[in-house]
Amino acid sequence: MLIAGFGAFTPLIDEPGLQQTFAVAFLFGGLALTYDLLLGFTGLLSFGHALFYAAGAYGAAFAMARWDWGIIPAGIFALFFAFLVALFTGTAALRVKGIAFAMVTLAFAEAGHVIVTLNLWGLSEGDKTLQLNFDSVPDFFLGVANTRNLYLLALITLAIIYLAVWWLTQSSVGRVWQALRENEERVSVLGLRPFSFKLIAFVLAGVMAAFVGVVAVVVTNNANPVMASTQTTISLLLMVILGGIATRWGAVIGGLIYVVLSQRLTTLDTQGALAGLPEWIGGPMSEPAFILGVIFILVVMFSPGGIAGALYRLRLKIASFK
Amino acid sequence: MEIFITLFITGVGLGALYFLVASGLSLIYGLMGVLNFAHGAFLTAGAYAAWYFTTEVRADGSLTSYAISLVLSGLVGAIFAVATEQLLIKHLYDRHIDQALVTVGLGLVAVSAYLGWFGSDPLIALPPTQLYDVVQIGDAFVGIDRFLYITVAGLVLLANFLMLRYTRIGLVIRAGVENRAMVTALGIDVRKAFTFVFFIGGFAAGLGGALATTYASGVGPTLGDAFLIYAFITVVIGGMGSIPGTAIAAVIVGTTQVLVNYYVQGLGDFVVVLLLAVVLLTRPQGLLGKVAH
Repeated sequence: MLIAGFGAFTPLIDEPGLQQTFAVAFLFGGLALTYDLLLGFTGLLSFGHALFYAAGAYGAAFAMARWDWGIIPAGIFALFFAFLVALFTGTAALRVKGIAFAMVTLAFAEAGHVIVTLNLWGLSEGDKTLQLNFDSVPDFFLGVANTRNLYLLALITLAIIYLAVWWLTQSSVGRVWQALRENEERVSVLGLRPFSFKLIAFVLAGVMAAFVGVVAVVVTNNANPVMASTQTTISLLLMVILGGIATRWGAVIGGLIYVVLSQRLTTLDTQGALAGLPEWIGGPMSEPAFILGVIFILVVMFSPGGIAGALYRLRLKIASFK
Repeated sequence: MEIFITLFITGVGLGALYFLVASGLSLIYGLMGVLNFAHGAFLTAGAYAAWYFTTEVRADGSLTSYAISLVLSGLVGAIFAVATEQLLIKHLYDRHIDQALVTVGLGLVAVSAYLGWFGSDPLIALPPTQLYDVVQIGDAFVGIDRFLYITVAGLVLLANFLMLRYTRIGLVIRAGVENRAMVTALGIDVRKAFTFVFFIGGFAAGLGGALATTYASGVGPTLGDAFLIYAFITVVIGGMGSIPGTAIAAVIVGTTQVLVNYYVQGLGDFVVVLLLAVVLLTRPQGLLGKVAH
């Protein structure tokens, strides 16, 4: 419904800069949703989700730049690559639980980050970004005039991810995930192997994140080391918590708000909105992460369940009022 | 061989810095179950305090000023840590995930505040020039500052050990790491120990910040985060809640990183994170950690 709403909005958002912002926001909404599949629906706190996003982005960008593949085969290659990475890291990391699991995934992701940042084995361009090979994508995705098509591409990507996550969480496997989140022991007593189900969730979330990564290469025209950083995973965590955990649309809203705020708050400063403030508070206020961080702390402390949780309580209140 | 000695001592020096951050993390996690993502921010606060003191207040480049700046930065880190515990963490007891999340948020807020106040470029600190002298060991030349880090970390390790072993609050902390519910049931107010652990953890981190400023020749907003990841790795390898384990792991992590990085730049960081994965998968409780109950 929400996604259809944004589809209907398309003609109104006609400035390329704004279209680009929203395209990136849709992608992060989708990415946050894949993270919520792990955190919210399966109860797995991973600090390594950025690894798969980057695996998708770098896999596709690499195949296009070095082998001159078209976007479709390069994308399929990237998904397969991410699948293998997720299968390997997931099999290893899921042998431990809780904080140890978070740390192992953090370690794997950091290893990936090191590989792309330092250009080990010549796989990336190091600190420089790995540019999109413009010959590999159709013309209607290139150039400022076609930003609208990127906007639509990102929106469709978000819709696909949303439907996939919706279908998965409603399926019988999805129900086992949620049971695992609530009580793992009981699931294993019922004769199901928690490890297999968690691995399925981990790999599926990883491959979907890689899919977002492939699209991100087309939308932003490059694959860069920031994609692989722990900072990316932490911002996903923020988005999911901000929007509301395990509600699906909460993660999407969280992603949209996060990206739009972090891009628009920067203009707050350049427009001189902070000119009247003393320097000691105006300085930090010009950093979007400052305001987002403060909002995040307040949400965690005073509104568990994020935006979705707050709306849910509001609805209960209105219902009881009647 | 001489290059090995130089690298090894540099590695132990780096490990000493990791230990200063990791010892606090380890105690906080061991006692309270809080994974403190804001610990890097404590370090950076200490680093800025040291920079400010040695360049703006007493810019004479003397060893005395430097020594004062160490104590000052430790206090700044400690005050920041206690404020964090009192204002944020305290209200979320028994909500472990939320506590970790709040520290994630605080880490973000702190880094962007530093960015707003001090800018993104590292500020150059000018420690006493004596620290950059070298001494000869056999055929190898080693910077004196390395020994300073090792000495300070050694003193912190000793102080931690004495505190944990011979004081009442140390007894409460050790018992709390073992079984917090039991300590509480015996009528002992563990919350005072919580605040205290944050104080000493913050002090060590702030101290580490001042030394890291010397090590990196300056301080930028993300100085602490750069150390935090390896401090986490150190804590986990050493075993959560074990100070001796943390010290051993710090030396392993520091030397491995420096030695391997010398041969292939960047590979050392890679090897260290893989080391963490291997340790966790073969011995999930870490080197000296207790098996979770």
